[in-house]
Amino acid sequence: MHIAVLAKVVPDYEVPAVDFELSNNRAHDRYTRMIGLYDENAIEVGVQLKEKYSESLTIISYGNESDIQFLRKAVAMGGEKLVLVTGKSDDPFVIAANLKMAIESLGNVDLVLAGQQSADMDRGVVHSILAEMLGYIFIPQVSRVEKDNRGWQVTQITETGSCEFKFAGKGVLSITSVPENVPRIPAVRNIFAAKKKPVEKIPGSAGSKMKTEEISVSIPHVESVCEFLSVDDLYETARTLLTKLREERYL
Amino acid sequence: MKTLIIEIIEFNRIAELVTVSRKFCDQPDIVGLGRGEIPGTYGKAYQTEETIGANLLPALVELVKSGGYEVVLFSATTTGSSLAGPLAARLQAAFISEVIAVDSDTEVSCPMYGGKAVAKYKLSAKPAILTIRRKYFEKAELEGATPSEALGEVQKLISLLAEHEDETGGVPLEDADIIVSGGRGIGTKANFAMLQELTTLFNESAVGASRGAVDEGWVQPSMQIGQTGKIVAPSIYFAIGISGASQHLAGIANAKCVVAVNKDEDANIFSRARFGVVEDYKKFIPALINALKSEA
Repeated sequence: MHIAVLAKVVPDYEVPAVDFELSNNRAHDRYTRMIGLYDENAIEVGVQLKEKYSESLTIISYGNESDIQFLRKAVAMGGEKLVLVTGKSDDPFVIAANLKMAIESLGNVDLVLAGQQSADMDRGVVHSILAEMLGYIFIPQVSRVEKDNRGWQVTQITETGSCEFKFAGKGVLSITSVPENVPRIPAVRNIFAAKKKPVEKIPGSAGSKMKTEEISVSIPHVESVCEFLSVDDLYETARTLLTKLREERYL
Repeated sequence: MKTLIIEIIEFNRIAELVTVSRKFCDQPDIVGLGRGEIPGTYGKAYQTEETIGANLLPALVELVKSGGYEVVLFSATTTGSSLAGPLAARLQAAFISEVIAVDSDTEVSCPMYGGKAVAKYKLSAKPAILTIRRKYFEKAELEGATPSEALGEVQKLISLLAEHEDETGGVPLEDADIIVSGGRGIGTKANFAMLQELTTLFNESAVGASRGAVDEGWVQPSMQIGQTGKIVAPSIYFAIGISGASQHLAGIANAKCVVAVNKDEDANIFSRARFGVVEDYKKFIPALINALKSEA
């Protein structure tokens, strides 16, 4: 059986808002690039499943050839192979169609894992569209995956707690962050070994775009001036804070 | 435009979606998921006890097609996420998630880059499927209830084995007027007790956390506030030992007043705060607790 993990290379998501700049309606290309926030959780879950059930694990990405250097981290974490579909589209339908092509080229993928949301477009939709295109079951915000001879048992984090589900057949799961899937730091020998592992490059297709048109992208102006309170006497600081909160009718 | 709300039967979620629906129509139809009466008045109301997305999909596809719906609204929640994408793919619909503004009946906005940018989209086809970020729209007044008819047959592709509700010990985070939230700077799970004690001194208050604190295993994932956790809009948000990553700030964008307590005066949280205390929270929070107790 074969597990595929989707990984996207994105601009540094920890750039503070005050330093954030756009260029051609996207994050300025001066920012460092890295694997997305939740994608690393998905890779960690994939590696744990590989180790537990002796599965094959392939990392799949859609993007530029220059992303390969960053995606090698996913291979160093435990991926056996990297498949990159080359393309530049931000359209979720186009991206999903290209990922579908890569998954089908592998031939025997039973489970697809992806971070619950990319750290650039913030949409959290490509995996669900992909699931429908593949005809796989889709479950979002999954924190734990187990396998038995009848299929998969998963834990989904909900707004109020969690749900345990089971299903048979093939699935696409979006993975959320919990302590059990905090990404491992690859060992140095694995980092070097990852440089020798195979990278398959597949030319992307134009695909059918979603029926929406991006009109504009802007940086919202948030006006907030922080009043720092004196900390010479913390009891007085606390009393001053409470007074100010009442004066401004927050309390 | 003929509009359909698909939502768990939960008053606040539905009330926010009704507000959004009024940008598109006078009176929407609704599919209520779960048990109980569907609050509010609708043209037509459908209901099923099934709440698992994959099991509902065929019936919802059929309903959207046969009903000729032009706009379908979900809240951006676990249920909405499980349904909206597959439904959009099946219907080849225009699809925008995490909508935070509806500028006209064909233009909507949603965040990018963890809320550091906002994209505006034109919906060029029908149906349009939108997931609406919680707490960005006022709740409509919902009066009475609408009798419902059964939604079409649901599949059983996924079975629910168990459901666990985290103990919040008070007001749900989304409804809290005051939130005391801790980040990695809190240091240990046990130290969250101090934040819990502080909340007991305010009415309508709750404890939250950043992703870092959840990743450390100090609190339950359902307490996570941020772009991929809960979106909250309290009057006062106490950010204790929270650095202020943009993903966290996206979850508190609608907080009226942020009070930041952090040892690091350069922490990004101060850029969003109205009041800042540059101090070890272990020294300041007990002082704040004492000040509140002395007023009681």
